[in-house]
Amino acid sequence: MRGLSGLFVLACGLALAGCASSEEPPAQASVAEAANDPFEPMNRKIFDMNEGFDKVVLLPVAQVYVDVVPEPARDSVHNFLENLNLPITFANDLLQGEMTRAGQTLGRFTVNTTVGVGGLFDIASDWGIPDHQEDFGLTLGKWGVGEGPYLVVPFFGPDPPRDVTGQVVDIFLDPTTYVHIDHHIYWSAAREVAEAIDLRSRNIDNIESIERSSVDYYASLRSLYRQLRNNDIRDGKPDVADLPNF
Amino acid sequence: MSRPDPFSARLAAVRAFVAAALIGVAAVFVAAPARAATPAETFVQTNVDKGMQILNDHGVSTAQRNTQFRAFLLTLTDLKRIALYTLGPARRGATPAEQDAFVEAFKDFAFAVYGTEFAKYSGQTLKVTGSIQRSDGDYVVTTVLVDPNAPKNQEPIEVDFRVIGTEGKFFVTDITVAGLDLAITEQDQFSSYLAQHDNDIKTLTTDLHQHAEHIRSTGQLQ
Repeated sequence: MRGLSGLFVLACGLALAGCASSEEPPAQASVAEAANDPFEPMNRKIFDMNEGFDKVVLLPVAQVYVDVVPEPARDSVHNFLENLNLPITFANDLLQGEMTRAGQTLGRFTVNTTVGVGGLFDIASDWGIPDHQEDFGLTLGKWGVGEGPYLVVPFFGPDPPRDVTGQVVDIFLDPTTYVHIDHHIYWSAAREVAEAIDLRSRNIDNIESIERSSVDYYASLRSLYRQLRNNDIRDGKPDVADLPNF
Repeated sequence: MSRPDPFSARLAAVRAFVAAALIGVAAVFVAAPARAATPAETFVQTNVDKGMQILNDHGVSTAQRNTQFRAFLLTLTDLKRIALYTLGPARRGATPAEQDAFVEAFKDFAFAVYGTEFAKYSGQTLKVTGSIQRSDGDYVVTTVLVDPNAPKNQEPIEVDFRVIGTEGKFFVTDITVAGLDLAITEQDQFSSYLAQHDNDIKTLTTDLHQHAEHIRSTGQLQ
């Protein structure tokens, strides 16, 4: 669902981008080019729409969720959702040849699914099994694939072509895709909504802080998204060679 | 560390950014690292100790503490160098007067943004784990932020200090937290802002001051 919607938006974006970018003043166009954001005017409009949706719908829902649901229950929801994604991480660990991390992921999934009652409790962390997440967008990055032009997708935020591709592949790496569930689309939608509310509720203060510290919120998030993904591709190893030249 | 969907990744970026924007700067003020093998590491450790003293001095008012903190930061960092870096290519077209005005606005903005957040991180500790010399007088001091209240499955947050200079004349010029570089982030947003405003540095300078004043007066977003 996510990947397909992303591809649809990508197609629309490619169709619209020529008109949008051709009207940019030269200076703005050069900055957009330097930022590898050729569709910036369109991306900013989608970003504004996403922000509106966040302010009107997602944030209020997340705030009510925090106010009404006790923290231990919210933690269990979070643990459950995290556990559901571990098979995707495991598959990508294997594709990256990271056998030690694959073992850790398998261990976490096994422990939390069994002792942790279907993933509701994070017993694996208590037992010292480290946590990490992977997706096929990161796997492509590790294989040397570039991210492509920056894109913002309605409701989902930053999503350049490499990550769109990754999400499509991750659908096929997710075992729940192959589990027969009546009205599977409702299950998928509910999972998406739960993940969105869970993550938004855990970042209410954080998002406010980043917005407050930005004179150009869109550009800040674009920069941070890329830095974060690149850091993840390096598995968090510092990149001391490519630092600012003061 | 990212989630396997873009929305999650965006939120993860936000979470990590906050570490960069808030914890990263606040880390200068929190507890002492365990080791200090090189002069650059010693510099970081010493200033971490100084920052902690300021942060935990409850014998003064919050305003006084903020003033002390600001003075401390000014001695610790080369804010002018950082500010001019964040201007990016626009610096070349700016007059010296415009650059000076921008530097002052950058300082005003930085202190306003970070000034109210330090106390949140006073319970955390910072441990120096080593350093890398990039060239003569250019070091990266690596540290780990230890938060006793962090979720049990949260990986330690790595905080790297870019230290430039020689022993006795070191300055911090950049902080990288969980792979997110503060100077790069600011340059990216300022470059984009200028592109949206006819490359007018005066507009950015004015907006930074206004942004800072708005934060100081209301504590709210613009």
